[in-house]
Amino acid sequence: MKIDEKVLTYFESSNSPVDKEGYLYKKGEIKTSYQKRWFVLKGNLLFYKDRQTDRDLVGVIVLEGCTVQLCESEEKFAFSLVWSEPGLRTYKFAAEDQASQESWIKALLSASHSYLALLVVDMESKYRDALGALSSQPSKPFVMPNFNTVQPAVFVTSNTCTSSALGTASSPNSCPNLQALTISSKTASKKSPKLRSKKNASVVPMFDPFQTIGEYDFNQLHEDYGKEVKELIAMWSKKGHGGANVQDENLIDFG
Amino acid sequence: MRFNEKELVLLSRQPSERAAELGMRGPKKGDVVKKRLVKLVVNFLFYFRTDEEEPIGALLLEQCRVEREDSQTFSIAFLDEAERKYVFECDTEEQCAEWIDSIIKASYEFMRKNLIYYRTEIHRLTGKDPLEQYGISDEARFQVSNGRPLPTVPFLVAL
Repeated sequence: MKIDEKVLTYFESSNSPVDKEGYLYKKGEIKTSYQKRWFVLKGNLLFYKDRQTDRDLVGVIVLEGCTVQLCESEEKFAFSLVWSEPGLRTYKFAAEDQASQESWIKALLSASHSYLALLVVDMESKYRDALGALSSQPSKPFVMPNFNTVQPAVFVTSNTCTSSALGTASSPNSCPNLQALTISSKTASKKSPKLRSKKNASVVPMFDPFQTIGEYDFNQLHEDYGKEVKELIAMWSKKGHGGANVQDENLIDFG
Repeated sequence: MRFNEKELVLLSRQPSERAAELGMRGPKKGDVVKKRLVKLVVNFLFYFRTDEEEPIGALLLEQCRVEREDSQTFSIAFLDEAERKYVFECDTEEQCAEWIDSIIKASYEFMRKNLIYYRTEIHRLTGKDPLEQYGISDEARFQVSNGRPLPTVPFLVAL
């Protein structure tokens, strides 16, 4: 199958938004050594070239139908893009440090077109609800937003939660979801020897990325993604990188 | 340029709401119209010889302009060279209009802009950032175009 390379080259060099860029080590497709390449993530396309200033692209990876996983590797800060169907590839990467690894994994997890499409459908419906609420009850006082949804706690490792993190005046002790996150990280660490077995070295999401829109509940999709990320975080914090740096403040600055 | 061909071929087999036999003409001088099965999957246009399983080619639908050429014909022009166009002949005016609409809406950039619009509006109407619950508020791809992330509750800012 041909691909129109001019179109790809033009897209990469155009000033459309760059979602993430930086150096990563990529395991060779023929030679098995890791080679340093400059990567540019735009939408659902991951371009790569030898150096940041090069105009010519070495290649591109279309990010549809794959999962992002931690992988077993002699390289530190490794992760992979996996197509699980028989005969399809796994691309292996290594970042320069943990922060870069986490940041790339997070960016790649939300890169697919399918994911964006589901998100847009969800936002459309929330927007309609918001408009409906506004027009049907013009004189109603401000309605407290619904905080029963998943808490914004994906990267929070602390046992305490500040009221600014939740946006409510709830007391620091009433954070059931954050406490659940702490508990699950402990059980994950007990399981980690099994997780590191060859067959099952990485977290695999439980859903089919090609499931058509409308058949799939986006909240469930996010639960699944969120769970995957939470498990990754739990594994990192127990792998020895995080041993010395249990954090007291949130990794995300809530302002 | 290397690319993940097998994985892209798999993508071309996914169900699509927009697939039909159209007359297709390539961008090079001297290219003639040929009957192709054209299929839109995510932001790619795949084209097949009728009854073949593997596509002949794949076209990324980003940074392009989709135009009506005449009542039943549309073109996709890529912005690097405005005259470099792929031309598609449909059976009816309606089919032509539907293809144009679908292709425009399939672009990642188009969808991203919509997302940012809805996010901004929902935040303005409710005071809440709808992406916060998914833990993706600070991802670069969901920011408004000037790069500033939306302020989080309880700081309400008129946008």
